[in-house]
Amino acid sequence: MRGQTLRPYLLIMPSLAFLLLLFFVPLVQTVALAFSTTTGTGVGNFVQMLDDLDFRDSVRNTFGLVLCVVPLQLLAALGMSMMLRHVRWGRDIILWIWTIPLGISDLAAGLVWLAILTDKGYLNTILFEVGVISGPQSWLTYETPGALFLAILTAEFWRATAIVFVVLVAGVQLIPREYEEAASVFGATAWQRFRRVTLPLLRPSIQTALILRTVLAFEAFAVVLAVGGRNFPVLVSQAYLWQFTNQNYNVAACYAVLVTLVSLAATLVILIALRPRAGESA
Amino acid sequence: MIGSRRVLLISGVLMICAWTLVPIYLVALGGVGGASTIYAWPKPFWPASLSIGNFTAFLQIEGIWAAMLRSVEVAVLCMILSLLLGAPAGYALARFAFRGANLYRLMILMTRAFPVGILALPLAVSFVRLGIYDTVFGVALMHTALALPFAVLVTASLFVGIPRELEEAAWVFGCSGPGAFRRVVMPLAIPGIAATAIFAFVISWNEVFAASVLTVRNKTLTADLLTLLSEAPLQSQLAGGLLLILPSVLFIFFVRRYLFALWGVASR
Amino acid sequence: MADIRIESVTKYYGSQAALRGVSLDVHNGEFVALLGPSGCGKTTLLRAVAGLDRQTNGRIEIGGRDVSDLPPRSRGLAMVFQNYAVFPHLRVRDNIAFGLLMTGTAKDRIERQVARAAALMHIEALLDRYPVQLSGGQRQRVAVARALAVEPAVLLMDEPLSNLDALLRLEMRTELKAVLASARTTTLYVTHDQTEAMGLADRIAIMHEGRIEQIGSPLEIYRQPKSIFVGGFIGNPPMNFLRLPVSGSVVRLGTLILNPPAGINGPVMLGIRPEDLEVAETGAGFAFRVHVPEPLGPHILLTGDVEGQSMRVAVAPDRVMQPGDVVMLRPNTARLSWMNPDTGLALENS
Repeated sequence: MRGQTLRPYLLIMPSLAFLLLLFFVPLVQTVALAFSTTTGTGVGNFVQMLDDLDFRDSVRNTFGLVLCVVPLQLLAALGMSMMLRHVRWGRDIILWIWTIPLGISDLAAGLVWLAILTDKGYLNTILFEVGVISGPQSWLTYETPGALFLAILTAEFWRATAIVFVVLVAGVQLIPREYEEAASVFGATAWQRFRRVTLPLLRPSIQTALILRTVLAFEAFAVVLAVGGRNFPVLVSQAYLWQFTNQNYNVAACYAVLVTLVSLAATLVILIALRPRAGESA
Repeated sequence: MIGSRRVLLISGVLMICAWTLVPIYLVALGGVGGASTIYAWPKPFWPASLSIGNFTAFLQIEGIWAAMLRSVEVAVLCMILSLLLGAPAGYALARFAFRGANLYRLMILMTRAFPVGILALPLAVSFVRLGIYDTVFGVALMHTALALPFAVLVTASLFVGIPRELEEAAWVFGCSGPGAFRRVVMPLAIPGIAATAIFAFVISWNEVFAASVLTVRNKTLTADLLTLLSEAPLQSQLAGGLLLILPSVLFIFFVRRYLFALWGVASR
Repeated sequence: MADIRIESVTKYYGSQAALRGVSLDVHNGEFVALLGPSGCGKTTLLRAVAGLDRQTNGRIEIGGRDVSDLPPRSRGLAMVFQNYAVFPHLRVRDNIAFGLLMTGTAKDRIERQVARAAALMHIEALLDRYPVQLSGGQRQRVAVARALAVEPAVLLMDEPLSNLDALLRLEMRTELKAVLASARTTTLYVTHDQTEAMGLADRIAIMHEGRIEQIGSPLEIYRQPKSIFVGGFIGNPPMNFLRLPVSGSVVRLGTLILNPPAGINGPVMLGIRPEDLEVAETGAGFAFRVHVPEPLGPHILLTGDVEGQSMRVAVAPDRVMQPGDVVMLRPNTARLSWMNPDTGLALENS
């Protein structure tokens, strides 16, 4: 019987050791790297990061992207999961098509939209055919920041709405239909049923979806590079640049610390904003 | 009235399908069409000439083919490691009430609030020291850190879904502990475990940042494509992108039945 | 075949006691039902016998062999689970053969045993199906057949009928009794359904808060409850209890003079079953005020009060009763139970 009490610990031990080595240790190392300078410990690297010409832009771009794309994705995913409830046939195939982007790398998504939005791309072809433009036109340069932002937003929206959708559909499936039926028996309209019954019951799923998506959106990197190249710096692409091109691991670590702190803060905000109310079981 | 609503719903559903599929179709056009399609203006929306032979020959020249094989190796290794490390922990969470179980679960959930990929930065330094920088194994280790929490949570829910009574019945009717696991739990868990494995594969297959940071010469497909962005002609990029997308689409097809169960569980 | 000997078994979950010293002998070939409300420890006791949970203290013998430290597979028993636990990935045939396969039985013998068990439970036609293709009742039959196929020394059943609908449960109960009677397998059967226990068991052990409150034949338990708990638990509706004062070693109820066991001072509890009361047209009796009459077919169930204490009575179905009616009742004095209101235990009739 002694073995019985030891067994679960033996079973979790490998994964625990692995995460310790490849999650906690690098986490500590990141912080250590960020604070270690040639003259000892200090905030010199952070000063260097702040002096980086692209720092302000990367902060603005990152936050702009996250704050625009995540709410849009939540709205779209909510709409999609509500639509799905009324689909009578072909549910299986529709689900598959709608979730395909879930399996697509952010780099691939960036390339997809690059093909569409480049000078001689498909968007310009359509615009040309309908007579809006007279020839190839560039949208993805630093001269057209608005269009570039929209392009990256579109690519990110196209790729990553599926994950929000899947989490919400999984949540909707957990809500017994009787609640909505009860509401409609008591005279609630479709909108009232959604607003007063479904949405509150869906709060735990919305919370999870938002946390997952927001943390990933702060990490957005390849999609940005593919569509915008160097013209649209974000925090993680700056970290990559410092690490790889400038070979300055310390400043790269500073960016990593910043991204980590921002992600944690966002998670905390979402957790608090959507916490279960007192007396409500989560 | 009802009829018009129905029409509205159906057209909405179809529009979202098109929104998802048309971009993939267009990148496929660019990828398979070769240089002539890429520089055509205005662009044809239908393939002029389609040749897989050219496509693959071209991939080999660009070194994309080798990168893809490396990506497969990394993803398979990541899949195996995630399951080997994650499934036992999932079983422990599902079947044993032990001190620290909640703490462990919380820790696993907590990793979600961290941008784990970013940790490749300090790992690059450590990997150089350990001699696994720029290797398939090194990248696979990093990817396993990404996929492991997911594997733990999903397998835990899988094992919870297999009634304890079935295992007990096996014990009563003459099975030892491992025997019951092999004869009863495993056969029932296999489909879900396969789905988990596929997810681990896709997570690794799609990962860009860590793969780029941890490799220089032996690049995986995503890392290779990232460097091609500023160097290679557009058709190479699109061909690589297409190569990146195709397996994922197939995988999602195979695991679509598990998708919601997996994420429904992972969201608690 | 074997007997089961349970000796002062306790089971603690942390500081929570689930079994507080249970001793029980199940004789060879006997059918004993463990009956009690949920949380009384009956399932814990069964699982300790099966070896699925280890008892904290005490010992368990099967066929004279101490099995306390043996894993379930070495105890020579079979079990029918509450949710059947029919393996979903195996055909019915392989489910029934499972136990025999594990013990390395020869192939032709396995085939014979499977055929025999399937015939006993009337599921020959289902042998090549998978469990998903079966109804709840059919799965139940497979679970029983799987247990019978190994010809176990001891058969354990954990609320096997509780997931069936009422009609099916009645049918299975009758069938189970016939099959088990011919097999003469020592059986320990957990249930919270008293009709099931009364109908199936040779003896019933009533469990309450981790102890066996009373053990005896169904009729014994019904007629001579050893405590207020047993009287109130067994019978539908349960036994009525009236708290009455003793004066001069007799108890007065209406115009009745009843004799409690000798040597009692202070109040006593008088237990009377609803069907042991009849309407007294003439002679001595006590007044009962009807609150709610419920015509149930075989009898009318009256809920009402006697001197402010509530009581249920079953009377002949041909009477017309209205709320507010007052009738005179007379108990069958041979069927009275006397209890100590403080200890809740029966007073011995001397």
